[in-house]
Amino acid sequence: MRTAFALFLLASLLPAQTADFGKAWSFDERKPQTRIEQTIDAVLPSVVKIHGASGLATISAYATGVIVSDRGHILTLDQIMIQKGKTRVVLYDGSVHDALLLPEEPKLGLRLLKIDPAQVHGELRPLWPPAEQDAGFRTGQFVVSIGNAFRLAEFSEKVSATFGVVVGRANTALRYRLADVKYDGDVILTDACNNPGHYGGGLFTLDGRWIGLNLRLLDSKETNTMLSAAIPTRDLLPYLEQHVLGERREQTVVTKVPAWTGVVLFEQAGRQSPPAYVERVIAGSPAAQLGLRPDDLIVRIDDWSIRTCREFRDVLARYAAGQTVKLVWKRGTKIVDGELVLAEEPK
Amino acid sequence: MNAARPLPVVAALLLGAAAAAQQRVDADEFQHLEPVLQRAIAAAAPFVVTVETFGGTRRVLGPDVPIDGDGPPRPRPAPKAKPPEPPEQPEQPEPPAPEGEPVPEGDKKDGEPKDGERKPDADKKPKLPLVPEGFQQTRGKTTGVVLTADGWILVSRFALNFDPTTVLITVPGRGTFHAERAGEDTSRGLALVKIAAEGLPVPTFVPPAEVAVGQWAFALGRTFAADEPTVHLGIVSAKKRLYGRALQIDAYTSPANYGGAVVDVHGRVLGIAVPLSPSGRNAGVEWYDSGIGFAVTIADIPDLLARMQQGQVLQRGWLGVHLEPSHLGPGAKIAGAPKDGAAAAAGLRKGDVVVALDGIEVQNGPHLQMLLGARLGGDTVTLTWRDDGQGEPIQKVVTLLDAPWSEQKRDTNADLPASFPLPAPEEGR
Repeated sequence: MRTAFALFLLASLLPAQTADFGKAWSFDERKPQTRIEQTIDAVLPSVVKIHGASGLATISAYATGVIVSDRGHILTLDQIMIQKGKTRVVLYDGSVHDALLLPEEPKLGLRLLKIDPAQVHGELRPLWPPAEQDAGFRTGQFVVSIGNAFRLAEFSEKVSATFGVVVGRANTALRYRLADVKYDGDVILTDACNNPGHYGGGLFTLDGRWIGLNLRLLDSKETNTMLSAAIPTRDLLPYLEQHVLGERREQTVVTKVPAWTGVVLFEQAGRQSPPAYVERVIAGSPAAQLGLRPDDLIVRIDDWSIRTCREFRDVLARYAAGQTVKLVWKRGTKIVDGELVLAEEPK
Repeated sequence: MNAARPLPVVAALLLGAAAAAQQRVDADEFQHLEPVLQRAIAAAAPFVVTVETFGGTRRVLGPDVPIDGDGPPRPRPAPKAKPPEPPEQPEQPEPPAPEGEPVPEGDKKDGEPKDGERKPDADKKPKLPLVPEGFQQTRGKTTGVVLTADGWILVSRFALNFDPTTVLITVPGRGTFHAERAGEDTSRGLALVKIAAEGLPVPTFVPPAEVAVGQWAFALGRTFAADEPTVHLGIVSAKKRLYGRALQIDAYTSPANYGGAVVDVHGRVLGIAVPLSPSGRNAGVEWYDSGIGFAVTIADIPDLLARMQQGQVLQRGWLGVHLEPSHLGPGAKIAGAPKDGAAAAAGLRKGDVVVALDGIEVQNGPHLQMLLGARLGGDTVTLTWRDDGQGEPIQKVVTLLDAPWSEQKRDTNADLPASFPLPAPEEGR
């Protein structure tokens, strides 16, 4: 009954709105003048609203996506709301399309959707393929972030644009609550705000280059702050190439053997994990070959800052036997580093 | 013909000037700002360093975070490295005792702790709630700024809140160094550490007098990536905040850039971002990225740095007077002087009116508070007052004490080792 009523409402609205199809509302009255206005005007048609499954009050049933091919491929963040048969894409002109779900990219937390290009009036304006060298970004670069924050845009209303600056790059040493995001690489930090619904939208430079896909608002354990971030576009390329262009990349399946260093840390039980002081080093182990000694304080593995014994274990779990890491440790007041070849734990 | 020409020429010039004036409204200002910002970042990046801390005790921040004058002062020997020639410090080792008066009990020289002063607050409470109030301070990296080429690094006191056992400083392009803690200024949220390095890139500090409200202020941090600083944009919102200690900026500040440099468009340092808040307490999570940030200015107080290099733990200065709010001036009327305060020791009593401080005529109570607000314990001030508001003005040099905030009041019930004499119970304050 309710559905029928909603359909009736929608149908009654349609004639009134049709006249505005294809126009950017913001610039109805005058042409875009500044670079910011021009960029927004240029990229808005490539950003779409995504409506998905709802049910739980905590799940917002809306998101944003970007068009990545003229054959109807749309890239967004993989979220619970994106469910087979329940995902619809609203284009720039307000037209609604059922979306097919393509295989997700679990490592990046991305999902490609596909709409039927035959159903689209006019042509789709994909953002992709961006040239690899064009996807670069720098700290202090001004950016425009486009997305449907809080589902403020309905139907053919245009999604929101926010303005900000590239705050910086966060490397893998950034620790956020894991439930937030699957992506584990470098992210672009920005102060152009990400809000629910904005996720999956695009981040653009002032000259209209697409540099990132908006992530969920990150909850940084490192600083107790919320961070607006985006996955750099260049990291999306392998996934897009495989599923949009059909270029299958060689997937090398590696069976991971746990890494072993031969270091025994001074670790006590307790709520707070102590700093990673070496208690002893097993003879003949990689750590012994590197010259680690009791009372050394391990402070870094590659770019990972090691502040506690727990972090030492967690970070080491990301590596496999046979890999080489740069280990930094403190002996007395001296900082020493060296290459450690991780080994397999002897039986 | 020729004579008539100048008029249209002038008219055309005027029109042209008017048109030019109109065009001066630049719709693309951010496009022009971008290279300026990039250059400022590039200029400032070399002296913005990463601070990592290891060990120490986890602390919960929140409603009960200590007031910034707090933190049990601990004497810390100056680092072995010889500090650079400090400016003349005649009064430093022995603050002169007010003539005829005994040195008051509360007089702690150079942050020297009195027996029993160091009482962990937690010991008093019988039970902690299962879920503590407030939030846990993060253990993440923070930021620091190189002060001198020979290895003095300014960091935020936020980074040392845990009393870490190890502090490491990573200077971009120069590697990681072990840092020794030197002095602190708890009232500014600053601390100084020393690393064994030479030839470090040194920033230019802008004197606060040259800073204008509304000018660009970029807050740099080096928390998330080692090779590249982070930047938050803003402007100087106000000057002389927190009794003249800090600039207020609207660039986002948070643990992501506490201790980092706030720079102008040339990459010169306007101040250091610190977790201060107007209440005088350390800024909690509600101040993070709020658009109200504070950058302490240090360019005009070289002797502060010298004292910190000597390892002194500086606290907010305390004269020890209660002011009479109903007295609207001229001068500040004393409603009471706690007997352990510097004012009482100098002979100030209830009813006296302070008329001048360091030669500046005191207009009223708030004026006196403002004049004293940024002073540190151990500072000397020349105080002029009239007994009961009448008679000849009396002038005396008074040495301010470290602020004994109520949280720090000596706990007479604390378990003290038997070999220490029990301190006398205190009245007042």
